[in-house]
Amino acid sequence: MSIFEGFVFRRIDTPIHRLDPRVKFLYTLVTLVLAILFNEFLALFVLFVGQLPLIWVARVQRSWARTMKGSLALVLLIFFTNLLTRWAYAGFRLHPVYLEESLAMTLRFLILVESFSIFSLTTSPDDLSLAMEQAGIPYWFCFAFTTSIRLMPAIARDAQTIVNAQRSRGLELERGNFLTRIKNYIPILVPLIVTTIRRSLELAEAMESRAWGATEKRTSLTQLEMGKTDYIATVFLLILLALAIYIRVSTRIPNLTSLIL
Amino acid sequence: MAVIEARGLTYTYPESKKPALVDVDLVVEEGEFVILTGPSGCGKTTLCRCLNGLIPHFYGGELRGELYVAGMNVKEHKTWELAQHVGLVFQNPENQLFSLTVEKDIAFGPENLGLPREEIRNRVDWALDRTGTTPLRYRAPYELSGGQQQRVAIASTLAMKPKVLVLDEPTSFLDPRGAQRIFETVNRLNKELGITIILVEHRLDLASVYADRVIVMNDGRIALDGTPKEVYLSGETEALGVGVVKVVKLYQLLEETGLRLRDVPISPKEASKLLREVLSP
Ligand SMILES: Nc1ncnc2c1ncn2[C@@H]1O[C@H](COP(=O)(O)OP(=O)(O)OP(=O)(O)O)[C@@H](O)[C@H]1O
Ligand SMILES: [Mg+2]
Repeated sequence: MSIFEGFVFRRIDTPIHRLDPRVKFLYTLVTLVLAILFNEFLALFVLFVGQLPLIWVARVQRSWARTMKGSLALVLLIFFTNLLTRWAYAGFRLHPVYLEESLAMTLRFLILVESFSIFSLTTSPDDLSLAMEQAGIPYWFCFAFTTSIRLMPAIARDAQTIVNAQRSRGLELERGNFLTRIKNYIPILVPLIVTTIRRSLELAEAMESRAWGATEKRTSLTQLEMGKTDYIATVFLLILLALAIYIRVSTRIPNLTSLIL
Repeated sequence: MAVIEARGLTYTYPESKKPALVDVDLVVEEGEFVILTGPSGCGKTTLCRCLNGLIPHFYGGELRGELYVAGMNVKEHKTWELAQHVGLVFQNPENQLFSLTVEKDIAFGPENLGLPREEIRNRVDWALDRTGTTPLRYRAPYELSGGQQQRVAIASTLAMKPKVLVLDEPTSFLDPRGAQRIFETVNRLNKELGITIILVEHRLDLASVYADRVIVMNDGRIALDGTPKEVYLSGETEALGVGVVKVVKLYQLLEETGLRLRDVPISPKEASKLLREVLSP
Protein backbone atom coordinates (compact mmCIF):
# COMPACT_ATOMS: atom_id res chain seq x y z
CA MET A 1 0.00 0.00 0.00
CA SER A 2 2.86 2.36 0.78
CA ILE A 3 3.52 3.17 -2.87
CA PHE A 4 0.02 4.66 -3.00
CA GLU A 5 0.41 6.72 0.13
CA GLY A 6 2.66 9.11 -1.71
CA PHE A 7 -0.12 9.83 -4.15
CA VAL A 8 -2.69 10.98 -1.62
CA PHE A 9 -3.40 14.68 -1.76
CA ARG A 10 -3.45 16.88 1.32
CA ARG A 11 -4.61 20.46 1.13
CA ILE A 12 -1.89 22.88 2.14
CA ASP A 13 -1.01 26.27 0.79
CA THR A 14 2.26 26.43 -1.15
CA PRO A 15 3.19 27.99 -4.51
CA ILE A 16 3.18 24.53 -6.08
CA HIS A 17 -0.26 23.69 -4.72
CA ARG A 18 -1.56 26.99 -6.08
CA LEU A 19 -0.39 26.27 -9.64
CA ASP A 20 -3.09 25.49 -12.17
CA PRO A 21 -3.53 21.70 -12.52
CA ARG A 22 -3.10 22.02 -16.28
CA VAL A 23 0.32 23.57 -15.79
CA LYS A 24 1.29 20.77 -13.43
CA PHE A 25 0.06 18.26 -15.95
CA LEU A 26 2.22 19.90 -18.60
CA TYR A 27 5.12 19.68 -16.16
CA THR A 28 4.60 15.93 -15.72
CA LEU A 29 4.36 15.54 -19.46
CA VAL A 30 7.55 17.52 -20.11
CA THR A 31 9.41 15.46 -17.51
CA LEU A 32 8.17 12.31 -19.18
CA VAL A 33 9.39 13.48 -22.58
CA LEU A 34 12.76 14.54 -21.19
CA ALA A 35 13.22 11.24 -19.38
CA ILE A 36 12.62 9.38 -22.62
CA LEU A 37 14.71 11.76 -24.70
CA PHE A 38 17.86 11.17 -22.67
CA ASN A 39 19.37 7.87 -21.70
CA GLU A 40 22.67 9.10 -20.30
CA PHE A 41 23.21 8.79 -16.59
CA LEU A 42 24.45 12.38 -16.23
CA ALA A 43 21.44 13.94 -17.93
CA LEU A 44 18.96 11.82 -16.03
CA PHE A 45 20.75 12.55 -12.79
CA VAL A 46 20.38 16.29 -13.41
CA LEU A 47 16.71 15.77 -14.21
CA PHE A 48 16.16 13.80 -11.01
CA VAL A 49 18.01 16.19 -8.73
CA GLY A 50 16.56 19.23 -10.50
CA GLN A 51 13.07 18.25 -9.36
CA LEU A 52 13.99 17.79 -5.72
CA PRO A 53 13.65 21.48 -4.71
CA LEU A 54 10.00 21.40 -5.87
CA ILE A 55 9.31 18.72 -3.28
CA TRP A 56 10.60 20.95 -0.52
CA VAL A 57 8.78 24.01 -1.80
CA ALA A 58 5.57 21.99 -1.86
CA ARG A 59 6.36 20.64 1.63
CA VAL A 60 5.51 17.07 0.68
CA GLN A 61 8.89 15.47 1.57
CA ARG A 62 7.38 12.93 3.96
CA SER A 63 4.75 11.47 1.65
CA TRP A 64 7.20 11.64 -1.22
CA ALA A 65 9.84 9.74 0.72
CA ARG A 66 7.24 7.11 1.56
CA THR A 67 6.37 6.64 -2.12
CA MET A 68 10.04 6.30 -2.92
CA LYS A 69 10.48 3.70 -0.21
CA GLY A 70 7.39 1.92 -1.48
CA SER A 71 8.84 1.70 -4.97
CA LEU A 72 12.13 0.23 -3.73
CA ALA A 73 11.27 -3.32 -4.78
CA LEU A 74 10.49 -2.20 -8.32
CA VAL A 75 13.64 -0.10 -8.43
CA LEU A 76 15.80 -3.08 -7.50
CA LEU A 77 14.01 -5.25 -10.02
CA ILE A 78 14.60 -2.76 -12.82
CA PHE A 79 18.24 -2.28 -11.88
CA PHE A 80 19.13 -5.96 -11.70
CA THR A 81 17.16 -6.94 -14.78
CA ASN A 82 19.05 -4.30 -16.73
CA LEU A 83 22.39 -5.29 -15.32
CA LEU A 84 21.83 -9.01 -15.88
CA THR A 85 20.71 -8.62 -19.49
CA ARG A 86 23.68 -6.42 -20.29
CA TRP A 87 26.00 -8.82 -18.58
CA ALA A 88 24.53 -11.83 -20.41
CA TYR A 89 24.47 -9.98 -23.73
CA ALA A 90 28.14 -9.14 -23.45
CA GLY A 91 29.02 -12.80 -23.04
CA PHE A 92 28.90 -12.82 -19.21
CA ARG A 93 31.46 -10.07 -18.80
CA LEU A 94 31.01 -7.11 -16.54
CA HIS A 95 32.06 -3.57 -17.37
CA PRO A 96 31.52 -0.38 -15.31
CA VAL A 97 29.56 1.08 -18.25
CA TYR A 98 26.87 -1.56 -17.74
CA LEU A 99 26.53 -0.46 -14.18
CA GLU A 100 26.12 3.14 -15.26
CA GLU A 101 23.60 2.27 -17.96
CA SER A 102 21.55 0.16 -15.56
CA LEU A 103 21.59 2.98 -13.04
CA ALA A 104 20.41 5.35 -15.76
CA MET A 105 17.46 3.13 -16.59
CA THR A 106 16.56 2.94 -12.91
CA LEU A 107 16.80 6.71 -12.62
CA ARG A 108 14.46 7.06 -15.56
CA PHE A 109 11.84 5.10 -13.65
CA LEU A 110 12.48 7.12 -10.50
CA ILE A 111 12.03 10.38 -12.40
CA LEU A 112 8.62 9.26 -13.60
CA VAL A 113 7.55 8.25 -10.09
CA GLU A 114 8.97 11.52 -8.79
CA SER A 115 7.15 13.83 -11.14
CA PHE A 116 3.90 11.89 -11.03
CA SER A 117 3.98 11.95 -7.27
CA ILE A 118 4.67 15.72 -7.23
CA PHE A 119 1.67 16.13 -9.49
CA SER A 120 -0.74 14.04 -7.48
CA LEU A 121 0.48 15.18 -4.07
CA THR A 122 -0.10 18.82 -4.91
CA THR A 123 -3.19 18.67 -7.11
CA SER A 124 -6.61 18.47 -5.53
CA PRO A 125 -8.74 15.82 -7.26
CA ASP A 126 -11.47 18.48 -7.30
CA ASP A 127 -9.24 20.79 -9.35
CA LEU A 128 -8.17 17.93 -11.55
CA SER A 129 -11.81 17.16 -12.22
CA LEU A 130 -12.43 20.83 -13.06
CA ALA A 131 -9.51 20.79 -15.50
CA MET A 132 -10.91 17.68 -17.15
CA GLU A 133 -14.41 19.16 -17.31
CA GLN A 134 -13.10 22.35 -18.87
CA ALA A 135 -11.27 20.24 -21.42
CA GLY A 136 -14.66 18.89 -22.46
CA ILE A 137 -14.57 15.48 -20.79
CA PRO A 138 -18.09 14.41 -19.68
CA TYR A 139 -18.83 15.17 -16.05
CA TRP A 140 -19.82 11.62 -15.08
CA PHE A 141 -16.37 10.45 -16.10
CA CYS A 142 -14.57 13.18 -14.14
CA PHE A 143 -16.73 12.41 -11.12
CA ALA A 144 -16.03 8.68 -11.29
CA PHE A 145 -12.33 9.40 -11.65
CA THR A 146 -12.05 11.71 -8.65
CA THR A 147 -14.30 9.52 -6.54
CA SER A 148 -12.06 6.53 -7.11
CA ILE A 149 -9.06 8.58 -6.00
CA ARG A 150 -10.93 9.84 -2.97
CA LEU A 151 -12.19 6.40 -1.95
CA MET A 152 -8.79 4.72 -2.10
CA PRO A 153 -7.84 5.58 1.51
CA ALA A 154 -11.32 4.68 2.79
CA ILE A 155 -11.22 1.28 1.14
CA ALA A 156 -7.69 0.71 2.45
CA ARG A 157 -9.05 1.47 5.92
CA ASP A 158 -11.93 -0.99 5.43
CA ALA A 159 -9.43 -3.64 4.34
CA GLN A 160 -7.36 -3.11 7.48
CA THR A 161 -10.46 -3.39 9.69
CA ILE A 162 -11.45 -6.64 8.02
CA VAL A 163 -7.92 -8.05 8.33
CA ASN A 164 -7.93 -7.25 12.05
CA ALA A 165 -11.39 -8.73 12.54
CA GLN A 166 -10.52 -11.95 10.74
CA ARG A 167 -7.19 -12.24 12.56
CA SER A 168 -8.96 -11.95 15.89
CA ARG A 169 -11.10 -14.87 14.74
CA GLY A 170 -7.96 -16.90 14.21
CA LEU A 171 -7.25 -16.37 10.54
CA GLU A 172 -3.55 -16.72 9.78
CA LEU A 173 -2.50 -14.93 6.63
CA GLU A 174 1.21 -15.77 6.55
CA ARG A 175 0.91 -19.49 6.69
CA GLY A 176 1.29 -22.36 4.28
CA ASN A 177 2.58 -22.53 0.73
CA PHE A 178 1.87 -20.10 -2.06
CA LEU A 179 -1.57 -21.52 -2.90
CA THR A 180 -2.81 -21.72 0.67
CA ARG A 181 -1.69 -18.16 1.20
CA ILE A 182 -3.81 -16.99 -1.69
CA LYS A 183 -6.71 -18.98 -0.27
CA ASN A 184 -6.14 -17.29 3.08
CA TYR A 185 -7.07 -14.01 1.49
CA ILE A 186 -10.59 -15.10 0.49
CA PRO A 187 -12.07 -14.30 3.93
CA ILE A 188 -10.61 -10.81 3.50
CA LEU A 189 -11.66 -10.22 -0.09
CA VAL A 190 -15.27 -11.32 0.16
CA PRO A 191 -16.29 -8.93 2.97
CA LEU A 192 -14.18 -6.18 1.38
CA ILE A 193 -16.04 -6.49 -1.90
CA VAL A 194 -19.36 -6.54 -0.07
CA THR A 195 -18.59 -3.41 1.97
CA THR A 196 -17.31 -1.63 -1.12
CA ILE A 197 -20.49 -2.42 -3.04
CA ARG A 198 -22.58 -1.26 -0.11
CA ARG A 199 -20.54 1.94 0.06
CA SER A 200 -21.07 2.59 -3.65
CA LEU A 201 -24.81 2.04 -3.29
CA GLU A 202 -25.02 4.52 -0.43
CA LEU A 203 -22.99 6.98 -2.43
CA ALA A 204 -25.27 6.58 -5.43
CA GLU A 205 -28.32 7.08 -3.24
CA ALA A 206 -26.88 10.28 -1.80
CA MET A 207 -26.03 11.53 -5.30
CA GLU A 208 -29.57 10.84 -6.51
CA SER A 209 -30.93 12.70 -3.50
CA ARG A 210 -28.97 15.74 -4.54
CA ALA A 211 -30.37 15.95 -8.04
CA TRP A 212 -27.67 14.04 -9.88
CA GLY A 213 -28.46 14.03 -13.58
CA ALA A 214 -31.02 16.85 -13.39
CA THR A 215 -29.59 18.62 -16.42
CA GLU A 216 -27.04 18.11 -19.14
CA LYS A 217 -25.71 21.62 -18.64
CA ARG A 218 -24.25 21.40 -15.21
CA THR A 219 -22.70 24.54 -13.76
CA SER A 220 -19.65 24.58 -11.56
CA LEU A 221 -19.18 26.75 -8.50
CA THR A 222 -15.56 27.44 -9.33
CA GLN A 223 -13.71 27.77 -12.57
CA LEU A 224 -10.03 27.40 -13.23
CA GLU A 225 -8.31 30.53 -14.36
CA MET A 226 -4.68 30.80 -15.38
CA GLY A 227 -2.87 33.44 -13.36
CA LYS A 228 0.37 35.26 -14.06
CA THR A 229 2.48 32.62 -12.31
CA ASP A 230 0.76 29.91 -14.35
CA TYR A 231 1.68 31.60 -17.63
CA ILE A 232 5.24 32.15 -16.48
CA ALA A 233 5.54 28.49 -15.47
CA THR A 234 4.12 27.36 -18.81
CA VAL A 235 6.55 29.49 -20.79
CA PHE A 236 9.39 28.27 -18.61
CA LEU A 237 8.45 24.61 -19.21
CA LEU A 238 8.25 25.14 -22.96
CA ILE A 239 11.64 26.84 -23.05
CA LEU A 240 13.05 23.99 -21.00
CA LEU A 241 11.64 21.48 -23.46
CA ALA A 242 13.05 23.36 -26.45
CA LEU A 243 16.43 23.68 -24.76
CA ALA A 244 16.52 19.98 -23.97
CA ILE A 245 15.70 19.05 -27.54
CA TYR A 246 18.43 21.40 -28.73
CA ILE A 247 20.97 19.83 -26.38
CA ARG A 248 19.89 16.39 -27.50
CA VAL A 249 20.56 17.03 -31.18
CA SER A 250 23.59 19.27 -30.83
CA THR A 251 25.73 17.81 -28.05
CA ARG A 252 27.06 14.47 -27.06
CA ILE A 253 26.70 13.88 -23.34
CA PRO A 254 29.72 11.96 -22.06
CA ASN A 255 29.26 8.98 -19.84
CA LEU A 256 30.50 9.08 -16.31
CA THR A 257 32.60 5.97 -16.61
CA SER A 258 34.77 7.46 -19.36
CA LEU A 259 35.20 10.67 -17.35
CA ILE A 260 36.43 8.80 -14.31
CA LEU A 261 38.50 6.07 -15.94
CA MET B 1 -51.59 22.64 3.90
CA ALA B 2 -50.41 19.05 3.81
CA VAL B 3 -46.87 18.71 2.51
CA ILE B 4 -46.82 14.92 2.79
CA GLU B 5 -49.87 12.84 2.07
CA ALA B 6 -49.79 9.05 1.97
CA ARG B 7 -52.81 6.82 1.49
CA GLY B 8 -52.64 3.06 1.74
CA LEU B 9 -48.93 3.10 0.95
CA THR B 10 -47.63 -0.45 0.63
CA TYR B 11 -44.18 -1.30 -0.64
CA THR B 12 -42.31 -4.52 -1.32
CA TYR B 13 -38.59 -4.55 -2.18
CA PRO B 14 -37.67 -6.50 -5.32
CA GLU B 15 -36.86 -10.15 -4.57
CA SER B 16 -38.63 -9.81 -1.25
CA LYS B 17 -41.85 -11.54 -0.28
CA LYS B 18 -42.91 -9.60 2.77
CA PRO B 19 -43.82 -5.92 2.27
CA ALA B 20 -41.60 -3.43 4.17
CA LEU B 21 -44.45 -0.89 4.37
CA VAL B 22 -48.03 -1.98 4.90
CA ASP B 23 -51.00 0.29 4.30
CA VAL B 24 -49.41 3.47 5.64
CA ASP B 25 -51.70 6.48 5.97
CA LEU B 26 -49.91 9.65 6.87
CA VAL B 27 -50.59 13.36 6.59
CA VAL B 28 -47.92 15.84 7.61
CA GLU B 29 -48.71 19.56 7.62
CA GLU B 30 -46.24 22.16 6.46
CA GLY B 31 -43.94 23.32 9.26
CA GLU B 32 -44.42 20.29 11.51
CA PHE B 33 -41.52 18.71 13.39
CA VAL B 34 -42.11 14.97 13.38
CA ILE B 35 -40.05 12.29 15.10
CA LEU B 36 -40.29 8.88 13.48
CA THR B 37 -39.21 5.97 15.62
CA GLY B 38 -39.71 2.26 16.07
CA PRO B 39 -37.77 -0.98 16.46
CA SER B 40 -35.03 -1.93 14.01
CA GLY B 41 -36.34 -3.20 10.69
CA CYS B 42 -39.80 -1.67 11.11
CA GLY B 43 -39.56 0.31 7.87
CA LYS B 44 -38.42 3.81 8.88
CA THR B 45 -35.64 4.01 6.30
CA THR B 46 -37.96 2.54 3.69
CA LEU B 47 -40.49 5.31 4.34
CA CYS B 48 -37.75 7.97 4.06
CA ARG B 49 -36.72 6.52 0.69
CA CYS B 50 -40.29 6.84 -0.54
CA LEU B 51 -40.44 10.50 0.39
CA ASN B 52 -37.90 11.61 -2.22
CA GLY B 53 -38.66 8.96 -4.81
CA LEU B 54 -35.59 6.74 -4.27
CA ILE B 55 -38.39 4.24 -3.90
CA PRO B 56 -39.57 3.32 -6.51
CA HIS B 57 -37.16 4.97 -9.01
CA PHE B 58 -33.81 3.83 -7.58
CA TYR B 59 -34.87 0.66 -5.76
CA GLY B 60 -37.56 -0.70 -8.06
CA GLY B 61 -39.95 -3.06 -6.34
CA GLU B 62 -43.67 -2.66 -6.05
CA LEU B 63 -45.21 0.53 -4.65
CA ARG B 64 -48.98 0.55 -4.17
CA GLY B 65 -51.22 3.26 -2.78
CA GLU B 66 -50.73 7.00 -3.13
CA LEU B 67 -47.96 9.28 -1.99
CA TYR B 68 -47.86 13.02 -2.62
CA VAL B 69 -44.93 15.09 -1.46
CA ALA B 70 -45.05 18.86 -1.95
CA GLY B 71 -47.99 18.27 -4.25
CA MET B 72 -46.11 15.81 -6.48
CA ASN B 73 -46.94 12.19 -7.00
CA VAL B 74 -43.67 10.37 -6.24
CA LYS B 75 -44.44 7.69 -8.79
CA GLU B 76 -44.53 10.27 -11.58
CA HIS B 77 -41.64 12.51 -10.58
CA LYS B 78 -38.00 11.53 -10.67
CA THR B 79 -35.73 11.83 -7.63
CA TRP B 80 -33.93 14.84 -9.07
CA GLU B 81 -37.24 16.72 -9.24
CA LEU B 82 -38.35 15.67 -5.77
CA ALA B 83 -34.88 16.48 -4.40
CA GLN B 84 -35.63 20.16 -4.91
CA HIS B 85 -38.46 19.89 -2.39
CA VAL B 86 -37.34 17.10 -0.08
CA GLY B 87 -33.83 16.89 1.31
CA LEU B 88 -32.63 13.54 2.60
CA VAL B 89 -29.81 13.24 5.14
CA PHE B 90 -28.43 9.77 5.69
CA GLN B 91 -27.12 7.89 8.68
CA ASN B 92 -23.51 7.53 7.60
CA PRO B 93 -21.93 10.94 6.99
CA GLU B 94 -18.96 9.38 5.21
CA ASN B 95 -20.90 8.18 2.19
CA GLN B 96 -22.88 11.31 1.45
CA LEU B 97 -20.04 13.79 1.03
CA PHE B 98 -18.27 13.68 -2.31
CA SER B 99 -15.76 16.47 -2.55
CA LEU B 100 -12.55 17.62 -0.97
CA THR B 101 -13.90 20.87 0.40
CA VAL B 102 -17.04 21.52 2.37
CA GLU B 103 -17.90 24.40 0.06
CA LYS B 104 -17.77 22.24 -3.04
CA ASP B 105 -19.87 19.59 -1.38
CA ILE B 106 -22.61 22.02 -0.52
CA ALA B 107 -22.51 23.30 -4.09
CA PHE B 108 -22.95 19.77 -5.51
CA GLY B 109 -26.78 19.83 -5.58
CA PRO B 110 -27.22 23.34 -7.03
CA GLU B 111 -24.48 22.56 -9.58
CA ASN B 112 -26.42 19.51 -10.71
CA LEU B 113 -29.45 21.72 -11.22
CA GLY B 114 -27.41 23.91 -13.55
CA LEU B 115 -28.13 27.10 -11.59
CA PRO B 116 -26.20 30.28 -12.42
CA ARG B 117 -22.86 30.53 -10.63
CA GLU B 118 -23.90 33.60 -8.65
CA GLU B 119 -27.00 31.82 -7.35
CA ILE B 120 -24.95 28.78 -6.33
CA ARG B 121 -22.55 31.01 -4.42
CA ASN B 122 -25.43 32.68 -2.57
CA ARG B 123 -26.99 29.38 -1.66
CA VAL B 124 -23.68 28.00 -0.39
CA ASP B 125 -23.13 31.07 1.81
CA TRP B 126 -26.66 30.83 3.09
CA ALA B 127 -26.53 27.09 3.85
CA LEU B 128 -23.17 27.46 5.62
CA ASP B 129 -24.57 30.27 7.72
CA ARG B 130 -27.78 28.45 8.63
CA THR B 131 -25.98 25.34 9.83
CA GLY B 132 -23.13 27.12 11.60
CA THR B 133 -20.55 25.57 9.31
CA THR B 134 -19.06 28.76 7.85
CA PRO B 135 -15.70 28.22 9.65
CA LEU B 136 -15.44 24.78 8.00
CA ARG B 137 -15.87 26.16 4.49
CA TYR B 138 -12.46 25.23 3.08
CA ARG B 139 -11.86 22.13 5.18
CA ALA B 140 -11.93 18.62 3.72
CA PRO B 141 -15.01 16.65 4.85
CA TYR B 142 -12.96 13.58 5.75
CA GLU B 143 -10.94 15.49 8.34
CA LEU B 144 -14.03 16.73 10.20
CA SER B 145 -15.65 15.14 13.23
CA GLY B 146 -18.79 13.06 12.69
CA GLY B 147 -20.98 15.84 14.06
CA GLN B 148 -19.41 18.44 11.79
CA GLN B 149 -19.76 16.11 8.81
CA GLN B 150 -23.41 15.60 9.57
CA ARG B 151 -24.01 19.36 9.77
CA VAL B 152 -22.28 19.72 6.41
CA ALA B 153 -24.56 17.01 5.05
CA ILE B 154 -27.53 19.01 6.32
CA ALA B 155 -26.12 22.16 4.72
CA SER B 156 -25.71 20.40 1.40
CA THR B 157 -29.34 19.33 1.30
CA LEU B 158 -30.37 22.76 2.54
CA ALA B 159 -28.68 24.31 -0.50
CA MET B 160 -31.42 22.70 -2.59
CA LYS B 161 -33.93 24.93 -0.70
CA PRO B 162 -36.21 22.07 0.30
CA LYS B 163 -39.62 22.42 1.95
CA VAL B 164 -39.11 19.16 3.81
CA LEU B 165 -35.97 17.85 5.45
CA VAL B 166 -35.86 14.12 6.16
CA LEU B 167 -33.08 12.90 8.45
CA ASP B 168 -32.55 9.15 8.82
CA GLU B 169 -30.86 8.51 12.17
CA PRO B 170 -28.42 11.38 11.65
CA THR B 171 -26.96 11.00 15.13
CA SER B 172 -26.35 7.28 15.38
CA PHE B 173 -22.59 7.72 14.86
CA LEU B 174 -22.36 10.72 17.20
CA ASP B 175 -21.82 11.30 20.90
CA PRO B 176 -24.62 12.94 22.93
CA ARG B 177 -23.16 16.42 22.57
CA GLY B 178 -22.79 16.09 18.81
CA ALA B 179 -26.36 14.78 18.67
CA GLN B 180 -27.60 17.73 20.70
CA ARG B 181 -26.02 20.18 18.26
CA ILE B 182 -27.66 18.42 15.31
CA PHE B 183 -31.06 18.64 16.99
CA GLU B 184 -30.55 22.34 17.73
CA THR B 185 -29.51 23.05 14.14
CA VAL B 186 -32.51 21.16 12.78
CA ASN B 187 -34.83 22.86 15.26
CA ARG B 188 -33.65 26.29 14.11
CA LEU B 189 -34.35 25.37 10.48
CA ASN B 190 -37.83 24.32 11.55
CA LYS B 191 -38.67 27.35 13.69
CA GLU B 192 -36.93 30.09 11.70
CA LEU B 193 -37.47 28.91 8.13
CA GLY B 194 -40.61 26.84 8.60
CA ILE B 195 -39.02 23.76 7.02
CA THR B 196 -40.98 20.59 7.75
CA ILE B 197 -38.83 18.07 9.62
CA ILE B 198 -39.07 14.30 9.58
CA LEU B 199 -36.46 13.05 12.02
CA VAL B 200 -35.87 9.30 12.39
CA GLU B 201 -34.41 8.98 15.85
CA HIS B 202 -33.84 6.63 18.77
CA ARG B 203 -32.56 9.26 21.18
CA LEU B 204 -36.00 10.32 22.30
CA ASP B 205 -34.72 11.82 25.56
CA LEU B 206 -32.78 14.46 23.69
CA ALA B 207 -34.94 14.99 20.62
CA SER B 208 -38.48 15.01 21.99
CA VAL B 209 -38.46 18.61 23.26
CA TYR B 210 -38.25 19.91 19.72
CA ALA B 211 -41.00 17.76 18.21
CA ASP B 212 -44.67 18.54 17.64
CA ARG B 213 -45.47 14.96 16.90
CA VAL B 214 -44.12 11.45 17.40
CA ILE B 215 -44.87 8.55 15.10
CA VAL B 216 -43.98 5.02 16.15
CA MET B 217 -43.80 2.36 13.45
CA ASN B 218 -43.92 -1.36 13.92
CA ASP B 219 -43.59 -4.08 11.34
CA GLY B 220 -44.18 -1.79 8.36
CA ARG B 221 -47.21 -0.07 9.88
CA ILE B 222 -47.81 3.10 11.84
CA ALA B 223 -48.50 1.92 15.39
CA LEU B 224 -48.76 5.18 17.32
CA ASP B 225 -49.17 8.76 16.18
CA GLY B 226 -49.69 11.83 18.31
CA THR B 227 -48.04 14.58 20.32
CA PRO B 228 -44.99 13.42 22.28
CA LYS B 229 -46.98 13.43 25.51
CA GLU B 230 -49.85 11.40 24.10
CA VAL B 231 -47.54 8.81 22.62
CA TYR B 232 -45.26 8.45 25.64
CA LEU B 233 -48.17 8.26 28.09
CA SER B 234 -50.04 5.68 26.05
CA GLY B 235 -47.99 2.97 27.74
CA GLU B 236 -47.54 1.14 24.48
CA THR B 237 -44.09 2.36 23.60
CA GLU B 238 -42.31 -0.08 25.89
CA ALA B 239 -44.09 -3.05 24.36
CA LEU B 240 -42.91 -1.88 20.93
CA GLY B 241 -39.33 -1.83 22.11
CA VAL B 242 -38.97 1.94 21.82
CA GLY B 243 -36.96 3.55 24.60
CA VAL B 244 -38.98 5.36 27.25
CA VAL B 245 -38.34 9.02 27.84
CA LYS B 246 -36.94 9.15 31.35
CA VAL B 247 -38.73 12.25 32.58
CA VAL B 248 -42.06 10.83 31.39
CA LYS B 249 -41.26 7.64 33.30
CA LEU B 250 -40.49 9.80 36.33
CA TYR B 251 -43.87 11.51 35.95
CA GLN B 252 -45.62 8.15 35.87
CA LEU B 253 -43.73 6.79 38.88
CA LEU B 254 -44.52 9.91 40.90
CA GLU B 255 -48.16 9.58 39.96
CA GLU B 256 -48.21 5.97 41.19
CA THR B 257 -46.91 7.11 44.56
CA GLY B 258 -49.56 9.81 44.72
CA LEU B 259 -47.59 12.87 43.64
CA ARG B 260 -49.25 14.42 40.64
CA LEU B 261 -47.44 17.01 38.54
CA ARG B 262 -49.48 19.70 36.78
CA ASP B 263 -48.26 18.59 33.35
CA VAL B 264 -46.20 15.89 31.66
CA PRO B 265 -42.57 16.98 31.34
CA ILE B 266 -40.67 16.20 28.14
CA SER B 267 -37.25 17.56 29.10
CA PRO B 268 -35.31 17.56 32.39
CA LYS B 269 -35.72 21.32 32.46
CA GLU B 270 -39.51 21.08 32.33
CA ALA B 271 -39.43 18.32 34.91
CA SER B 272 -37.45 20.42 37.36
CA LYS B 273 -39.84 23.34 36.91
CA LEU B 274 -42.90 21.16 37.48
CA LEU B 275 -41.29 19.50 40.50
CA ARG B 276 -40.47 22.83 42.05
CA GLU B 277 -44.12 23.84 41.71
CA VAL B 278 -45.34 20.94 43.84
CA LEU B 279 -42.44 20.93 46.28
CA SER B 280 -42.34 24.60 47.23
CA PRO B 281 -45.74 25.77 48.48
N1 LIG C 1 -32.52 -2.71 -0.02
C1 LIG C 1 -33.36 -3.61 0.55
N2 LIG C 1 -33.72 -4.71 -0.13
C2 LIG C 1 -34.55 -5.62 0.42
N3 LIG C 1 -35.09 -5.50 1.64
C3 LIG C 1 -34.77 -4.43 2.39
C4 LIG C 1 -33.88 -3.42 1.87
N4 LIG C 1 -33.72 -2.48 2.81
C5 LIG C 1 -34.48 -2.86 3.86
N5 LIG C 1 -35.13 -4.03 3.61
C6 LIG C 1 -36.06 -4.74 4.52
O1 LIG C 1 -37.17 -3.89 4.74
C7 LIG C 1 -37.55 -3.92 6.11
C8 LIG C 1 -37.53 -2.52 6.68
O2 LIG C 1 -36.21 -2.06 6.71
P1 LIG C 1 -35.79 -0.58 7.04
O3 LIG C 1 -34.36 -0.43 6.68
O4 LIG C 1 -36.74 0.35 6.41
O5 LIG C 1 -35.96 -0.55 8.62
P2 LIG C 1 -35.56 0.58 9.67
O6 LIG C 1 -36.76 0.88 10.46
O7 LIG C 1 -34.91 1.72 8.98
O8 LIG C 1 -34.51 -0.16 10.60
P3 LIG C 1 -33.21 0.40 11.35
O9 LIG C 1 -33.67 1.00 12.61
O10 LIG C 1 -32.41 -0.84 11.58
O11 LIG C 1 -32.53 1.35 10.42
C9 LIG C 1 -36.61 -4.87 6.80
O12 LIG C 1 -37.25 -6.11 6.93
C10 LIG C 1 -35.43 -4.97 5.87
O13 LIG C 1 -34.86 -6.24 5.93
MG1 LIG D 1 -32.96 2.59 9.03
